[in-house]
Amino acid sequence: MGAPYVVEFEIAKDDFLAAGEGSGSVKDTLKMLGIPSAVIRRAAIITYEAEMNLVIHGGGGVLKILISPEKVEIVARDDGPGIPDVELAMREGFSTAPDRIREMGFGAGMGLPNIKRNADSLEIESAVGVGTTLTASIDLSGEGGPA
Amino acid sequence: MKVAALLQSLALDVHCSGNAEAEVCHGTVGDLLSFVMGRCPEQAAWVTIQNHVNVAAVAVLREIPLIILSDGRQPVPELTRRCGDEKIALASSPMSAYEICGRLYALGLKG
Ligand SMILES: Nc1ncnc2c1ncn2[C@@H]1O[C@H](COP(=O)(O)OP(=O)(O)OP(=O)(O)O)[C@@H](O)[C@H]1O
Ligand SMILES: [Mg+2]
Repeated sequence: MGAPYVVEFEIAKDDFLAAGEGSGSVKDTLKMLGIPSAVIRRAAIITYEAEMNLVIHGGGGVLKILISPEKVEIVARDDGPGIPDVELAMREGFSTAPDRIREMGFGAGMGLPNIKRNADSLEIESAVGVGTTLTASIDLSGEGGPA
Repeated sequence: MKVAALLQSLALDVHCSGNAEAEVCHGTVGDLLSFVMGRCPEQAAWVTIQNHVNVAAVAVLREIPLIILSDGRQPVPELTRRCGDEKIALASSPMSAYEICGRLYALGLKG
């Protein structure tokens, strides 16, 4: 197989009102590449939630989308504070979002569960004080109905 | 029910008329963005007091055809602009979220 098609974005810290830009252009790119619309929908939701976590929790970072004939892979990497307990963070309703951000409707503790629901596989590598790398992928072999 | 018909029957203030022909089949209410992202049904009208541009981002991703701001919230220009760009209907009302949902339900939009 050839090298995957890669799209990369720098995501700035605290710029949560710019959000949706990453997921918007991912949608356009996937459409251009002829990816099925059910997959596009799932990839865009994953990208949005990952992007928001970079903005709100990760102190900014890099979002990368890799598209190959086998899968769409979304990688969000930051050098932020890290996640002390990934299993706990994955739980619906768990959030450490600060109050001023909660007032804007973030902090339901649903972002990671939403990513998991829409991905065929999800891996989170995180070390406190070092950073977090989230890798979610969607299989393209099964034509990608809802996960 | 079509977006245009719904805007009219609730006498909402319309800020973006969106796609008048889009079908609204369900409703959802809430101010937690990721919650709506995870839980809202297909083709839902979304009632919220959340008033910033990320509301439009969620609506785009979940293909929500109509956003209704309750309790007299007037949309910030950035939200109106984005809804306009994305062809999402954006309306507001002095009614409470509870009241709006009650009326939507009475019109046949069940959950
Ligand atoms: N990149 C990250 N760096 C550090 N902590 C993170 C990161 N991503 C997630 N977390 C931690 O995991 C928790 C749960 O994340 P999740 O996305 O599920 O919820 P949330 O972002 O708090 O709220 P929501 O996504 O519903 O708006 C966060 O509150 C935070 O403590
Ligand atoms: Mg989140």
